[in-house]
Amino acid sequence: MDVKYINPFVDSFLDVMPQLGFSEVSRVKLSLKQDFIYSGVIILVGIVGALKGTVVFRMDTEEAKTIASTMLMDTEPRDLDELAKSALSELANMITANAATNFSNQGVLIDISTPRLIYGENVLVKMSTKQVLCVSFLCDQVPMELNIGIAPK
Amino acid sequence: MKGIRMVIVDDSMFSIAVIKNILEENGFEVVGQAGSLEEVKAVISETKPDLVTMDMTLPGTDGLECTRAIHEIDPNIKVIVISSMMDDEIVKEAKESKVSAYIQKPVDADELVTTIHRIMASVELYQDLTNAYPLVFKEALLDAVNKMTKTLLTYKKESIPDEEFQSRGLTVIIGISGKFSGSLLIDLSKETAFQLVGAMMKSEPKNNDQVTAALGEFTNILAGNACSLLNKLNKAYGLRVTPPSVLQGDGVVIARPNFKTTSVLADTKFGEILLNVGFARGEHTWM
Repeated sequence: MDVKYINPFVDSFLDVMPQLGFSEVSRVKLSLKQDFIYSGVIILVGIVGALKGTVVFRMDTEEAKTIASTMLMDTEPRDLDELAKSALSELANMITANAATNFSNQGVLIDISTPRLIYGENVLVKMSTKQVLCVSFLCDQVPMELNIGIAPK
Repeated sequence: MKGIRMVIVDDSMFSIAVIKNILEENGFEVVGQAGSLEEVKAVISETKPDLVTMDMTLPGTDGLECTRAIHEIDPNIKVIVISSMMDDEIVKEAKESKVSAYIQKPVDADELVTTIHRIMASVELYQDLTNAYPLVFKEALLDAVNKMTKTLLTYKKESIPDEEFQSRGLTVIIGISGKFSGSLLIDLSKETAFQLVGAMMKSEPKNNDQVTAALGEFTNILAGNACSLLNKLNKAYGLRVTPPSVLQGDGVVIARPNFKTTSVLADTKFGEILLNVGFARGEHTWM
């Protein structure tokens, strides 16, 4: 998996998150994975076109609530309710769509699917690519992970 | 295209007269007009138009607040902003408020008419897809099971889920992109998956990896076949499927997505398989 595929996503993340109410957003780590087992909220967005694969957003349940609360400008803590899940899906959609625009500026044309959100404990996730690049971010001290499993067609 | 019913929102009698004239000359029906937020709410609730033309500057409100009020009444009503002001910032805000198109005053009749036709063609196309896809995906699942395992299945229940649901243990998710993007998932128990894959391979699967790989391919085939058939019905759909992801776990919950989906429950020789698929309307489709 080529590292050059991550910059459009990283740029998009750093660009979109501040617009959603996060003041300090930074990339903290990059790692390589194969299958992974997750607990918390998992949002999948599919990619087709010059590149094919899936992008998986992941955060712990408590962190997901904090992120949704920031996006929705809540004054009190929020549960992982319908509105929160809808906001988190929209977040995944915005970041991936923005990354698609960044790719198109480099002449790489991709299209994205609608996001699907699932949550649970110890969920084994198998993506279509052998290797997955995992980029972790901190958004106002809240950790969030972007797992990119894409490859040329 | 059936008769298109429209409402004009503007505070200038001159602008209303100009827009009304263009619309009526081109066969659209103007069913109401409004010049304030209160009037907008009243007229929209009463007339339920297909499409609204919206001025940006209005006394005590603005075009975007009125657009949000319209979508609270009915999110399917399309809004075209017609305003003398137009810059990148305001157009971006309009997009974010789910406006379908932005036209600058003075109104060019051809531009307005073409824009309306484009928006309404998209609405009709989505309706056609919504009518067609449940049967096509059901046929594709039946066909995939039949061809790959030489068994039949029966459908028990079809519904439009309005809340999240618990996974049976194993879920395959495939994204769909195109004119309308969407997603498909199948959900089944680990035992059902094991037996289904065993029948597909005509031998017992050696390990979990084999089951997930075969199930991913199975879902990929069924999604690909269904989307090809839909594209044959109308090539404007331009549907393409993204690679499968397989999720496994106990007590996994699949949230209701931000768009309407259809669920069908199939009874197979190997156990129950749930098929859930849907497409987003594409409110954000910018003309």
